Amino acid sequence: MHSSPDKQSNAPIIEAINLGKKVSTSEGTLEILSSVDLIINPADTLAIMGTSGSGKSTLLSLLAALDEPTTGSVSLFGQPLAQLDEDGRAELRNQSIGFVFQSFQLLPGLTALENVMLPLELCGDKNAADAAQALLERVGLSNRTHHTPRQLSGGEQQRVALARAFVTEPGILFADEPTGNLDSKTGEQIVELLFELNREKQTTLVLVTHDEPLAALCQRTIRLEAGTVVCQS
Amino acid sequence: MSELKLALRLLYRDGRSGELTILVLALIIAVTSSTAIALFADRLQQTMGRQAADFLAADMVISSSSSIPESWWKKASELQLKQSSTTEFSSVLMENESLLLAGIKAVTDHYPLRGHLKTATSDLSNPEQTKKGPATLEAWIEPRILSALKLQIGDTLRVGEQPLKITRLITYEPDKGGDLYSLQPRVMINHADLESTHVIQPGSHIHYTAQFVGNERNLVEFKRWIKPKLNPSQRILDIYDERPRLGSALSRAERYLGLSSIIVVLIAGIAIAMATRRYGERHFNATALLRCLGCKQSKIIRLYALQFLILGGSASLLGCLLGWFAQEGLFQLLRDLLPTSIASASPFSLLFGFATGMVILVGFAMPPLLQLKRVSPLRLLRHDLDPLPSSGWLIYGLALSVIGLLVWYYTDDLRMTFTVIGGGLFAASIMAGIVWLLIKSSSKSFGRLDIGWRFGLQSLSRHPAKTISQILAFTVTLVAMILSFSVRNDLLDDWKAQLPESAPNHFAINIFANDRTPFQKLLEGQQIQSSRFFPVTRGRLVEINGIKVRKIVSKESTGARATQRQLSLTSSTTPPDGNQIIEGNWWKSDNEAVVSIEQKLAQSLKVSIGDKLTFTIGSEQMQVAISNIRSVNWDTMKPNFYFIFPPSALDAFPQTYLTSFYLPPGKKDFLNKLIEHFPAVTLLDVETLLNQFKMILSQLTAAINYLLYFALAAGFTVLFAAVYSTLDDRIHNSALMRTLGAKRSLIKKVQLIEFTVLGFISGLLALAISELILSLLYNQLFGMAHQLNLLLWFLTPLAGGLFVGLAGYVGIRHVMDLPPASILRNL
Ligand SMILES: Nc1ncnc2c1ncn2[C@@H]1O[C@H](COP(=O)(O)OP(=O)(O)OP(=O)(O)O)[C@@H](O)[C@H]1O
Ligand SMILES: [Mg+2]
Repeated sequence: MHSSPDKQSNAPIIEAINLGKKVSTSEGTLEILSSVDLIINPADTLAIMGTSGSGKSTLLSLLAALDEPTTGSVSLFGQPLAQLDEDGRAELRNQSIGFVFQSFQLLPGLTALENVMLPLELCGDKNAADAAQALLERVGLSNRTHHTPRQLSGGEQQRVALARAFVTEPGILFADEPTGNLDSKTGEQIVELLFELNREKQTTLVLVTHDEPLAALCQRTIRLEAGTVVCQS
Repeated sequence: MSELKLALRLLYRDGRSGELTILVLALIIAVTSSTAIALFADRLQQTMGRQAADFLAADMVISSSSSIPESWWKKASELQLKQSSTTEFSSVLMENESLLLAGIKAVTDHYPLRGHLKTATSDLSNPEQTKKGPATLEAWIEPRILSALKLQIGDTLRVGEQPLKITRLITYEPDKGGDLYSLQPRVMINHADLESTHVIQPGSHIHYTAQFVGNERNLVEFKRWIKPKLNPSQRILDIYDERPRLGSALSRAERYLGLSSIIVVLIAGIAIAMATRRYGERHFNATALLRCLGCKQSKIIRLYALQFLILGGSASLLGCLLGWFAQEGLFQLLRDLLPTSIASASPFSLLFGFATGMVILVGFAMPPLLQLKRVSPLRLLRHDLDPLPSSGWLIYGLALSVIGLLVWYYTDDLRMTFTVIGGGLFAASIMAGIVWLLIKSSSKSFGRLDIGWRFGLQSLSRHPAKTISQILAFTVTLVAMILSFSVRNDLLDDWKAQLPESAPNHFAINIFANDRTPFQKLLEGQQIQSSRFFPVTRGRLVEINGIKVRKIVSKESTGARATQRQLSLTSSTTPPDGNQIIEGNWWKSDNEAVVSIEQKLAQSLKVSIGDKLTFTIGSEQMQVAISNIRSVNWDTMKPNFYFIFPPSALDAFPQTYLTSFYLPPGKKDFLNKLIEHFPAVTLLDVETLLNQFKMILSQLTAAINYLLYFALAAGFTVLFAAVYSTLDDRIHNSALMRTLGAKRSLIKKVQLIEFTVLGFISGLLALAISELILSLLYNQLFGMAHQLNLLLWFLTPLAGGLFVGLAGYVGIRHVMDLPPASILRNL
């Protein structure tokens, strides 16, 4: 219901041009990403791969409007992010973007249900509880809705995170090593669920992973090395 | 040794990563403020004590109606006490066919040992300070003698048979108190000339004083040695006995200083407790890791304890240094208000600041540290394994005992300590209960609120324990600040009320019945306000319930002093202003055989309503029953009486009248007129006393104001630190919420609401608790009545909400501009 109107059109959903990121540290400026160009079309699935420290998370956070690039520009749904202020980006994230993190990132004080309701509540949706309940059922946690993250296992927490990511029916889903903290079996279950939901909701998926088989499930893969794209397919 | 190295290394790493900043900051604030206050209080007390000593012109004075035995002087010399003496008597001066009864005072060369004489030769408004009395064959006189006897400077004045040259006019005499001699115009002469005046005859009424200064220990020893040798006419005076009025102001100020210290220590303790708690939480994982790596529990404790000792030691050292500077700065600021010579700080106070720092650290940091010991290595696997609160009673008992010890040390008052601790405990549990109920009862109604309010309130109600502990901390800090503020206000108001601008500065006694109306007329003619005229009959209390008073009263008590001499008895149909009946009833008819007694005296004599007192008045005896007990405000400069009778009771006896009045400056000459018209009336000039008193109070006021600012500043800083130490979770949570699309304004609103509500509740509780403590405190410590302050009722919750809300808002704001990615990355 909050998906972007552009979802079905063929205009690129993500367009990154000459993207670069520098950070200043105590030992001078550090270039962690440089001249990345990327175009992602609606309903694409893209895997970002690369060794640890190659800049995958950095790229993801730039694409997802979590951070601002030092050079270059990103447009989401045809909207240049540079034209938005932090609150504008927040609104965009809320309406059209979903997140899944390696370390789950659920709010510790909230129950599973409340965590899932949160994005809907943020945009004032009155039926947040029903929608959240439905999605929790969908991820197989209907009997754990009132447990806090501490009372859930890692796999369960990640399923709550998946429910939270899809509850707004976002146009794009960003996942940063969603299985990184899980054993391979649980990881597989999460991946399965992720792709199922993705197909159901026709979501564009951008995924960071070290896992070749997981990357193989995506239509496209790019490989980063020391902050630059070395290989695209 | 290797453990020390390891501890140092761990400490260094923590320090580098900024883990310790808040803890160190809180500790430095604590030590800085308690050092500064301890030093300041110490020096101020010494300085004030010194100044009070000025009023005696010595540290200690023996006052006597017979000359001081040679052996006493010798003993004083053995104890290396510097000495001087004064001999005072009345003598009639006759010059140029005018007569004047003057108070002669012969002083030795070292007089005054403390304080200064102020004298002038012509310009009275610009006197010189001297530390010496007149040389031989010189007389220094009070200016009004010149006009009364038509003399000029340089003329000769005969005192008894000795002609003396008038060389200076006295404008200020440090030890001119409110006693009988001070009412007569002063002539000061050198002790060496005393004999040749031939005024002193056997049987003359003479007042001798022996004055001493020296180090405290020797003075105390001297006092102990001399006490048993005193006869009933001899008294030892030191600053506290001699000036009960000043004494009470001083001791109140001292107590205020003590209170401020407790308050600062308490505030600092809370900050440290919060900071170590945060430290503990952040180190749970590290500890679990250490355990995993094979570290024993006891070793972990040793490691952390070592770190804390090193940390505490260096922070305390720095705090001491800063405290010293702060205190020095304070004295610089107060320079104009304080006496020129300020006592130097004792190094002991510095040491004390250091010790306070360490004690606070141990008391408040121990509980969270002990928790670390209980961290299970399993925590690495499961984060829900928070350490169980290890026997809470032991831990909070420890913190409480530390506070108790500190309070006890500062007040030296066990009852007060228990009042504070007991009250605190009681209040804390009530408070926790109320907050818990509030949270529980309100959480159901959140659903209907808008999202900002809902999130704000929900985050409070989700962690009741955390919320309660934060509210507790804010409340105690606020209570501390309120206490300091309102005690100071009431103290100052009280002082101001005691000494209005036109407080009576003269007493007139011995006004005969037929002089009363003309006397009053004369005053009114000059527009001089006087208090009412009290009839006075001199009499002596001799028996209580038929038993001789001498056998009942204990030595050196108020009762003893009141019964060894003739008392001024008065009569009245109504209780005089400033007198309050606290037991029994005022009489209805004027001819009952009853009496009203002052409360302190009643206590000292151990008498109560209905007891029969026998007085001798002249040659007659009179027995009356006590009908009521009055409290009297001795701090006002109005006439006060131990005993008040119904008017008819004293009618049969000779009566004189007594009044007090305010003579504005520049009308001094009117005194001569009064004396001329009513030679029998004795005038008592308390102006000097009053001015000295006012000066001291204004200095104390300034000092107390600065202390208040200091305590408030410490409170605010610590409140900020406390807010900051709770921000970790909130910052992470809000970054996450922003990732999910919450606008910054919403996050800010949620934070603002959360902290404001925290602050508001804390403010409400703080108000209730401080009112409770204040009423206890005022009764027991300051001897004043406590009145509710409506403004405080209005302001405190508001200020609490505003301030805590703002602190939280500012705290979260600086991370609001960081992209959420950078916050999430730090995990
Ligand atoms: N704010 C920052 N300050 C300093 N260095 C940074 C910052 N952000 C990222 N880096 C550095 O940039 C590099 C890329 O970081 P990034 O997190 O994007 O790597 P990554 O490919 O996601 O690695 P991993 O697979 O381990 O998650 C790393 O070397 C990281 O240390
Ligand atoms: Mg990464």
